[in-house]
Amino acid sequence: MSDLKPNETFTTRDEVAAEKDWAVAKAFFDNLKSKKPRPPKPTNAVTVAVSSRTLFNMVEERKIWEEEGLEKYVEYQQEHENEPLKPGAAFPFVKALMTVNTRLRKLYPDSEELFDVVLMTNNHAQVGVRLINSINHYDLNIERFCMTGGKSPIGYLKAYLTNLYLSKDSDKVQEAIEAGIAAATMFNPDMEVELSETQLRVAFDGDAVLFSDESEIIVKQHGLDTFFDHEKQNENKPLAQGPLKCFLEALGKLQKKFYTQNERLNCPIRTYLVTARSAASSGARVLKTLRSWGLEIDEAVFLAGAPKGPLLQKIRPHIFFDDQMFHIEGAKQLGTISAHVPYGIGQKDHKGKLIEQPAKHS
Amino acid sequence: MAVSCHGMFDLDSCNVQPDSCALPKGAAFAFIKAVQTVNQRLLGLSEKNKTLLFEVVLLGKDCEEHIKLNIFDSAKHYGLEIDKFYFCSSDNLIGTLQANHINLFLSPDKDDVYSVLKAGVPAALLYQQAEQQAINRLKVLFSGDLIGLSADSMVCLKDRGFTDVHIQNFKAAKECLREFVVRIGEMKRMFGHEGSPLHTSLMTVWGSRDVCASALKTLRGWGLDVDEAFCLAGATCGPILALLQPHIVWDNGLHNLKGVAPLLSS
Repeated sequence: MSDLKPNETFTTRDEVAAEKDWAVAKAFFDNLKSKKPRPPKPTNAVTVAVSSRTLFNMVEERKIWEEEGLEKYVEYQQEHENEPLKPGAAFPFVKALMTVNTRLRKLYPDSEELFDVVLMTNNHAQVGVRLINSINHYDLNIERFCMTGGKSPIGYLKAYLTNLYLSKDSDKVQEAIEAGIAAATMFNPDMEVELSETQLRVAFDGDAVLFSDESEIIVKQHGLDTFFDHEKQNENKPLAQGPLKCFLEALGKLQKKFYTQNERLNCPIRTYLVTARSAASSGARVLKTLRSWGLEIDEAVFLAGAPKGPLLQKIRPHIFFDDQMFHIEGAKQLGTISAHVPYGIGQKDHKGKLIEQPAKHS
Repeated sequence: MAVSCHGMFDLDSCNVQPDSCALPKGAAFAFIKAVQTVNQRLLGLSEKNKTLLFEVVLLGKDCEEHIKLNIFDSAKHYGLEIDKFYFCSSDNLIGTLQANHINLFLSPDKDDVYSVLKAGVPAALLYQQAEQQAINRLKVLFSGDLIGLSADSMVCLKDRGFTDVHIQNFKAAKECLREFVVRIGEMKRMFGHEGSPLHTSLMTVWGSRDVCASALKTLRGWGLDVDEAFCLAGATCGPILALLQPHIVWDNGLHNLKGVAPLLSS
């Protein structure tokens, strides 16, 4: 089993049945005589689950649901079924994932280590027709979806072996993080910025996103000076993992596939670390931690407390993960697509739990 | 609407002693309780709904005399509202179903379900639920891969190695499904979207998203708005089914076709 996946145990009988299902799906798909590429098997792929409101702009429709109720909402969606929805916050990110897939398929035509985008929404199934029509309109490569008609999608996230979950609903995101799945709440940027069409760019904050919030706790409880001393003393001790570490890992694995084919300079995935830490006093520990995990990050920016907005404007990531709403607001204002990771002491209703990552299996 | 179910009690595990234990519950048990809830709610809404109610009939295949008695007693013991009991031999299964105008045959046995479907009697699978589910909702799952294919596109299945006979059977199964869907749709419309005791889901395991969209629209055309939809595009359905825990699964027999298994391994 690929180690891109969180831990799942399947019996051999399930695996045999799964292989059979897989063979039939292959047959059906090949038979459709379409040029569309076949979706990869979930166990091998990097699965990204997006909710309908992050993929498409459903602000107006949401208002109808809130003001007039479920029945009117479903009716409205059915009436406008053939009108494609407008793109949402996660739309550029999904398009960038598809670009990476195209490059991967060219280099490794038979490999299944690709991005697999799944639509995971607790919208009612009847709204599904409009969603599918919209997906067709933009020719997105989303073949799997889950419309739970009101139930929480968290159980299904695990069933689909999800590596990353993006939603507009912070409660669901929090549930996912507590269940050990990397997740973030997406926000629309306040202005439009032109993004790269050939390279997927992902920016991460450090503490409480890639790493645990242990150092942030020290800052909040004992102040910056104690923090600097502590970090210097513990320079060689790796930090504990944060909720998004696995996703960075998954990106790294795909990046290596380009490096081995001599495509390092032309790699369509680029990762950034954008942290308020300063390089001199607390940066070393971060870099050493990443090294100890065997992970590379393409660019690391230490801001020493300076605002992140302007720098992110230069980078233009397709998505930026941070745990503090203060930074999210700053990034949003200057046009960066930001995603909030509700983890750690930076949150208002912090529950004080350390993340339990699902056990890795060899 | 009469429903005949064979999987009511777990006949194998009980020690046969004339007047002792009530038989332990089988796969259909939760289903019957859920059906009773639906019936209650329908009547609660209006007396006119009497025509829409489920009528459950218990069909025992190849039962010995003392088992028959046990079945009667156990049904009473658990307070199950079973209107009629039929007992027949396995050869006469289809004949019995047809003679008594059964609208839907349910069994946990895939072979039985498939042979009944082939004969033109609607049949569906009783799902083996992991534990006794909350009985205030009846959950029905439709397998959408064939629903999404129109009669014309079914012909393309011939290229995949399915014979004319298979395709004929698929068409017959789809027709049976349609009758059931129309009735369920009528019942469901009595309740709103929220708090309904009837919960329907659609799952396409192999088809692309367009097949799923087409299945959604077909079902809607027959009068049923499903609550949940899943498009797996080849992913395994095991984990999703385990979460969904439906009572009945309308699997058009495609997965279980004995003749198809060797074709699938190619």
